[in-house]
Amino acid sequence: MTTSPLPSIEGPDKPFWLALRQREVRVQRCGDCMTYRFPAAAFCAHCRSETFEWVAVEPTGVVETWCVFHRQYFEGLTVPYTVIQVRLKCGIRLFSNPVGVEADALRINMPVEAVFEDITPEVTLLKFQPTKGDLQ
Amino acid sequence: MVDRASVAVVGVGHTRYGNLPEYDAYDLGVLALKQAVADAGLTFTDLDGLIVNRIPDYQRFCEIAGLDPAYVSITPGQGRFSGICIETAAALIRSGAAKTIALVYGNNGRSSGDRYGGARDTYGSGGGGLWFPYGMTSPGAFHALMARRHMALYGTKNEHFGVVAKTFRDHAALNPAAVMRTPYTLADYQDSRYICEPLHLFDYCLINDGGVALILTSTARARDLAQPPVYLRGYGMATALSDSTFPPDDFWRAPAKEAAAKSFRMAGLVHDDISTLMIYDNFTPTVLFSLEGFGYCGVGESGAFVAEGHLAIGGRYPSNTSGGHLSESYMQGWALNVEAVQQVRGACGARQVENCHFAHYMAAAPVVTSIIYGREQS
Repeated sequence: MTTSPLPSIEGPDKPFWLALRQREVRVQRCGDCMTYRFPAAAFCAHCRSETFEWVAVEPTGVVETWCVFHRQYFEGLTVPYTVIQVRLKCGIRLFSNPVGVEADALRINMPVEAVFEDITPEVTLLKFQPTKGDLQ
Repeated sequence: MVDRASVAVVGVGHTRYGNLPEYDAYDLGVLALKQAVADAGLTFTDLDGLIVNRIPDYQRFCEIAGLDPAYVSITPGQGRFSGICIETAAALIRSGAAKTIALVYGNNGRSSGDRYGGARDTYGSGGGGLWFPYGMTSPGAFHALMARRHMALYGTKNEHFGVVAKTFRDHAALNPAAVMRTPYTLADYQDSRYICEPLHLFDYCLINDGGVALILTSTARARDLAQPPVYLRGYGMATALSDSTFPPDDFWRAPAKEAAAKSFRMAGLVHDDISTLMIYDNFTPTVLFSLEGFGYCGVGESGAFVAEGHLAIGGRYPSNTSGGHLSESYMQGWALNVEAVQQVRGACGARQVENCHFAHYMAAAPVVTSIIYGREQS
């Protein structure tokens, strides 16, 4: 891959993007019922509370599924490339890319851990690699 | 108390499908509505309700068509709304808010260059810009993710998707209105290029221009009109909208089961009564998820089920006899409902399903709809 389409880090998800620079994964957690949520929202979808904080969560999870793009939708991305759907331990789901593993070797529920990839001086992407020490 | 059908479809119409740059979405809607009005043996002044779908503005549409309906509404251009509009019209008629409702769809997406996926993609809950840096975009990729998970969990094979695509193409070959009518083999399917693996080109629906209209009224009025009424024997809806940025873990089985149960209960029917299926086929995997969710086969068994040939004309549940979205045209559920009506009327010519008493339209999406059409009122 070459230059990715850049996210706009100046928005409600800014704490997430800033945390990635610091090698942390931060998501919103409801101040009342403690339910995690991401992307950012003003209300907790579980209890509708407006109270929240951005908290660091364990940067590990499992692969839920994946697909391989053969059609090019973005100029900066070279096909084919793989997109994975990851569920973090805290329950939050994310779309991302795998690092250090070919699509053919991916499997459902494969444990993965975060890889922080700086793509510009401001932007870091959250990618995932198979958890080291995972007995395949 | 069993709720018997009190609403019927009395008129249907549609334009040609394809690349029609000479018309905009309004024009396509009016052309379809003129056909539907004529089909029903009605006049425009008989219409006292109107719901437009994908047409940009209801006011402009009414200006162009010369309509002053007592009830009017507009709905967004998502395919799930065809079923929603039909069920809403039925509820309005039953409530007495309107007597004769026109549902009008106009789509000029092909000639206006609509694209799904890329920087302007808004599929899902308001756009996926957050995921563009990873290259994640498009409804097709969303369904590719679901397809891959289904394959991994249940052993579903790529060729099962191919059977769906090929079967619907075979049906389209019998439908003069279909855009893609040349049959192909499973080998051709496997050779077609990947768009988003595991999905091939032939797993994707066809973006085209076209307009579709349906006219619904009460069963009491329906009996006096030009066509034999096609009754809405049962219908139901259910949603899975919270947390819908990501594919549902259950492939929409829970809402599909709920919507199916409502529609079968209202109809007083069981699956075995159904003659033909019209399955929302934006992508082939959705057909498999629907067969499981709406109860035509067991969980995880849809791949083997389609491989047994049940969806072909002549099979147990001939499905998408028009070719569907995959081969007739992507009219976002509307043309499938027209096909359901035409099958129940017995008006489908070479692709007519024998002894077609009941047609079941189903759409699996964050809003699930289920509609059972029948020839007899009860």
